[in-house]
Amino acid sequence: MTSMVVGSNLLVDLLSGPRPAEWASLREAAEGRLEGRDLPTTKDEAWKYTDLKALAAIPFVAAPRATVDISAYLLPEMVGTRQVFVNGHHAPHASCASAVPAGVRFLPLSTASEACHALGTVKNGVTPELFEDLNSARFEDGAVILVPKNLKVALPLHLLFLTKADTPIAVFPRVLVVLEPGAELELVEEHHGEGTYLSCPVVEVRLGEGAILRHERVQRESPEAFHLGTLKAEVGRHGQYHSRTLSFGARFSRQHPWVRLAEGAEGTLDGLALLDDQQVADTHSFMHHAEPNAVSHQLHKCIVDGKARAIFNGQVRVAPGAQGTDAKQQSRNLLLSETARVDTKPQLEIYADDVKCSHGAAVGQLDPEELFYLESRGLNADDARNLLTYGFAADVLQRVPVASVRRALRQLVMARTQAASLGVLA
Amino acid sequence: MLSIKNLTASINGTPVLKGIDLDIKAGEIHAIMGPNGSGKSTLGKVLAGHPAYEVTGGEVLFEGRDLFSLAADERARAGLFMGFQHPIEVPGVSNSSFLRLAYNKKAEAEGRDELDPLEFDDFIHEKIKLVAMREEFLDRSLNEGFSGGEKKRNEILQMAVLEPKLAILDELDSGLDIDALRVLGDAVNRLQRADRALLIITHFPRILETIQPHHVHVLSGGRILKSAGKELALELEERGYDWVLEASAAGGAR
Repeated sequence: MTSMVVGSNLLVDLLSGPRPAEWASLREAAEGRLEGRDLPTTKDEAWKYTDLKALAAIPFVAAPRATVDISAYLLPEMVGTRQVFVNGHHAPHASCASAVPAGVRFLPLSTASEACHALGTVKNGVTPELFEDLNSARFEDGAVILVPKNLKVALPLHLLFLTKADTPIAVFPRVLVVLEPGAELELVEEHHGEGTYLSCPVVEVRLGEGAILRHERVQRESPEAFHLGTLKAEVGRHGQYHSRTLSFGARFSRQHPWVRLAEGAEGTLDGLALLDDQQVADTHSFMHHAEPNAVSHQLHKCIVDGKARAIFNGQVRVAPGAQGTDAKQQSRNLLLSETARVDTKPQLEIYADDVKCSHGAAVGQLDPEELFYLESRGLNADDARNLLTYGFAADVLQRVPVASVRRALRQLVMARTQAASLGVLA
Repeated sequence: MLSIKNLTASINGTPVLKGIDLDIKAGEIHAIMGPNGSGKSTLGKVLAGHPAYEVTGGEVLFEGRDLFSLAADERARAGLFMGFQHPIEVPGVSNSSFLRLAYNKKAEAEGRDELDPLEFDDFIHEKIKLVAMREEFLDRSLNEGFSGGEKKRNEILQMAVLEPKLAILDELDSGLDIDALRVLGDAVNRLQRADRALLIITHFPRILETIQPHHVHVLSGGRILKSAGKELALELEERGYDWVLEASAAGGAR
């Protein structure tokens, strides 16, 4: 990372505020790495397509506590298994963990100091991204989830991060998920908000041998928001980590998912982004086949309209000795306007010889054959287009296991693709 | 019902139909047969309004209206239906919802009442019996993961739902086993009425044992080389297409 100055005092401003108590060593290390650094510019290879000038121009400050009516965000399957954070602070009255099974720890970080030693220890061997360090230096609170050995949690857990910004603020949600060997969990992580703000969540996941985590990540930030998220998952032998990131909001979003697979492990990083106007959504993923016989799947879909822009950079690394690796990556993109843009790039680094790695990238418009099929059944051209666009997205949504989440997202996608009036919810 | 006069069409500047004349009256079943690449599927697509084909000459009247003044969806709502050789898959859109949508679009165009989901549920359960489709296929996404035969079954179900005046069935038999072919052939026969017409496009005569045509036409090189009654299908089964092509080249097949 170069230190190109973008005329921003963002880092200086944010770091000059008070440092929250606890996790001092984590914070000091992050501050140390941030010393002298500034926001990346388009001259940095990893940020070539994503200009942060607009972000740098806004004077974000540390977020004050706020109260928000959460009734619209409650999910019926998870009324008793939710932790809610508003502006990065835990909201105890909005949270309810009454249905969390015995043995499972599902707490705000601020009350779980025993998780202290585990935080910040999922390491990917490279210098943390600047926004991850910013989170480590300044996060106020977040959630810790610990599931003991062999416990299969029947109810999904709900993590709700809400931001309410009357003036520009910065929030740093933090999550640590540890599943002991053989444990199983379904987690829904949602980000919603109002106003202009910067959200830099960091999620660390550590899965023991044979543990399984299904992780739905919903990004519905406000249209003025910036969302720069980091996800780091270490998957133990024969463990499974399956995540799906669904990006709808934010004027600018960037996801950094990183997954390390041990022997025989399985990893899924699926994504869907629905973009319009001037939105930018960037995903830089890293799938690390560190040991033999691991399987990975990636299906990343973007629907881009208006002057919006989607970026996908999918790195897959097969370490020396990781024989028997099976890695699949697909990037599929639908452009709905002349001014929409997609940049997609697979990046495979394979240091083992007995592996199966496939990747594909497609950028295009709706298929005229498909449109003709629907028109031949009496749908006019607009209806046919909207229905196919909806179908392109619904392909990802129909795999979301929690019914209420699936339904809400389908309705959102229907509204965004003008397919709602067609009444064709599958 | 359908009157085709000296129809010519091309794709990417290459002529594919080179002067087709064909009259189809209500109550009739016609079969268009021909070797691969003869232009027979093109004829179906041109009539249904496929955007890749350019009509370069001639005239087609459908119920007295200029067919080419109508967009593909308008043709469908006016009562033209094409059963696709390769139906497409639309994930995320349930089959039954799609069928209801198509039904209601046509009902709306005809000034009939639209059906709400409950009414349509009763309606569609009668229709699936006709094509012996299992109920689970209604809840699945449109054609997604359907086998070739299941897709064809779904095409005929769509036909049964839309009750077209003229149905063009393109290679209905491809991908079907013999039992499924009989079931769908019977269904098509039961849908046929005195005020409806059928145009069967097929390479193999087998399907015409179930759906018996009044007229059989051999299409090759973008022209109809020979027209006769259903006995022509049997002759083609025995002798293949070459003799028609050769006789035509010698100027004697008509």
